[in-house]
Amino acid sequence: MELFLLVLRNLLARPVRSLLTLLGVLVATASMVLFLSFGEGLRRALFQELSRVGPAIQVVPEGAEGFVFGALPEIPPETLKALEEAGKALGVRALVPTLFLARGGFDPATSFFFQGLPQGVGPDLLYPGVKAKEGRLRPTEGGAVVGGKVAKRSQLSLGSPLRLSPQVSLKVVGILEESGGLADNLIFVPLAPLQRVLGTENFSAILVALNPGQKAEAVARALEEAVPGLKAQTTGDVMRFAERALRISDLVRFGISLVALVVGGLLVANTVMMSVYERTREFGVMRALGARRGFIFRLVVLEALLLALLGGTLGLALGGAVSFAINLYTLDQVGLALSAVTPRLSLFALLVALLLGLVAGLLPAYHASRIPVVEALGRV
Amino acid sequence: MLRAEHLSKRYRQGEKEVVALLGFTYAFPKGATAVVGPSGSGKTTLLNLLAGFDLPSEGGVYLDNLPLHQLPEDERARVRLEYMGFVFQQWNLIPTLTAWENVAFPLLLVGRPRKERQERAFALLERVGLAHRLHHLPSRLSGGEQQRVALARALALDPPVLFADEPTGNLDAESREQVATLLFEAGKERTLILVTHDLELARRAGHILHLKGGRLVREETPKAKG
Ligand SMILES: Nc1ncnc2c1ncn2[C@@H]1O[C@H](COP(=O)(O)OP(=O)(O)O)[C@@H](O)[C@H]1O
Ligand SMILES: [Mg+2]
Repeated sequence: MELFLLVLRNLLARPVRSLLTLLGVLVATASMVLFLSFGEGLRRALFQELSRVGPAIQVVPEGAEGFVFGALPEIPPETLKALEEAGKALGVRALVPTLFLARGGFDPATSFFFQGLPQGVGPDLLYPGVKAKEGRLRPTEGGAVVGGKVAKRSQLSLGSPLRLSPQVSLKVVGILEESGGLADNLIFVPLAPLQRVLGTENFSAILVALNPGQKAEAVARALEEAVPGLKAQTTGDVMRFAERALRISDLVRFGISLVALVVGGLLVANTVMMSVYERTREFGVMRALGARRGFIFRLVVLEALLLALLGGTLGLALGGAVSFAINLYTLDQVGLALSAVTPRLSLFALLVALLLGLVAGLLPAYHASRIPVVEALGRV
Repeated sequence: MLRAEHLSKRYRQGEKEVVALLGFTYAFPKGATAVVGPSGSGKTTLLNLLAGFDLPSEGGVYLDNLPLHQLPEDERARVRLEYMGFVFQQWNLIPTLTAWENVAFPLLLVGRPRKERQERAFALLERVGLAHRLHHLPSRLSGGEQQRVALARALALDPPVLFADEPTGNLDAESREQVATLLFEAGKERTLILVTHDLELARRAGHILHLKGGRLVREETPKAKG
């Protein structure tokens, strides 16, 4: 405690230098927190969505595991036939072939996600709980049903034209109520026009709805066996896949922020080393008076730790604030909180800052505690 | 009692060897002993060895028969903390600590509680006439005041041995007198070892050791003065 005051005094004696170092650590930590918060946000959002998504099994081409929204149209009609037969034998409730098309850029405000559904199937089969606010619930030939958020964002109303391609356009025939789920951001259209736009007869995925009492895992394996070359993934499979993918992307993002962290650590090390050089005489006096080497060592390490931890805490706060601001935007635009500063992320950030201070402090501290007393006192 | 036996210190400077101290033997009695000699005669080297800042090339230092030169670094520090006090020529004080905190520093090292440290420091500063400077940083104190704070700090744990290396070297006449008086006052009941080239100051000590070229060439016992 007393040692702590001694350290604090020393940092306050050089306020500008301490502040600049603090800022360095602050920026490094804030950027790391922000980078990682996207992973946390994505994880949270996806699992919330996935647990709400209806179809128990999604069948995609082998090797295209993951999110159906990214699947290419690679399932030919013959495969659908085979699958339908297998499904019938297994007694599943429904088999829904579907297609996905994304239009637009990075900005969620100008992006459209189309999902093609077979005739007579509405989004309510796949996304339980969705209701029509205006018009129809199910797409018709030449008519699209638009998710609540998309409608609001792009100011679509019944009768508005929707252009899929220069040749193909549809009219809005229904608008869904906002449910807080994935359907809010989708536009449901019949399969045929989507296939025309993509120039294919194939499907991206086949969604399987089960009857009560059926085990998703068992049905999925049976389907895979019946129709080779396909992967039938359950919600659990998708979650496991998502977790794996997110973990890799976490690593990548942490790697990027590592650069900032290393720079922050070097800043701390530099500041503390300078302070050690300037205080050689002071350390000599302390040791002449009877301070042991460990005392000097702790004094210096604590200085680095304090700088790093203070910078880290402020950086965490800044990262949290920016994350909050980003969420305000993305919530408004796509109804998803993209970024999340979770408790475990906060803890991780503080631990990283602590580790940074420790590593940055060790060398100067070792140096400071090893100077011979006579040398430190200087030859007067 | 502090005793030096056949103390020698050699420094290697490239090819040649510098003998800073050679065969110094002396038992320091209670009271003040001044060590005098021209610049380069080995005074500081002697003090460094006696205080355990440095280790001798030959010979030994004994504090009540404890062989100081055989102890490892951290244990010598412990001995200094408990048995020795120091006043150097200048830059004695820790610049980020106030006067009373500097005085209380040895008490902090032995782990005394804050209240006790404060009381002791205040009393000591009052004794050296600095009751009005308790909360000043060293940079706000005059040279003489700084040396008096250093003296108060040297006495914090009431050590039996007191070292002073040119304690009045950088002071004006008036401050010099003040510091000297306080120093000899504190040295009465302890072993005070005063390194100086100020002969007038040395004359106030009970014993004077003359060093020359690293050797003890003469021991002098001036008439006791008031
Ligand atoms: N670290 C050192 N390396 C080399 N020579 C030294 C060192 N310290 C002292 N000396 C030499 O030892 C001799 C005595 O020095 P010192 O004890 O400082 O004398 P004084 O304090 O009496 O002026 C001098 O010749 C000095 O140059
Ligand atoms: Mg000297």
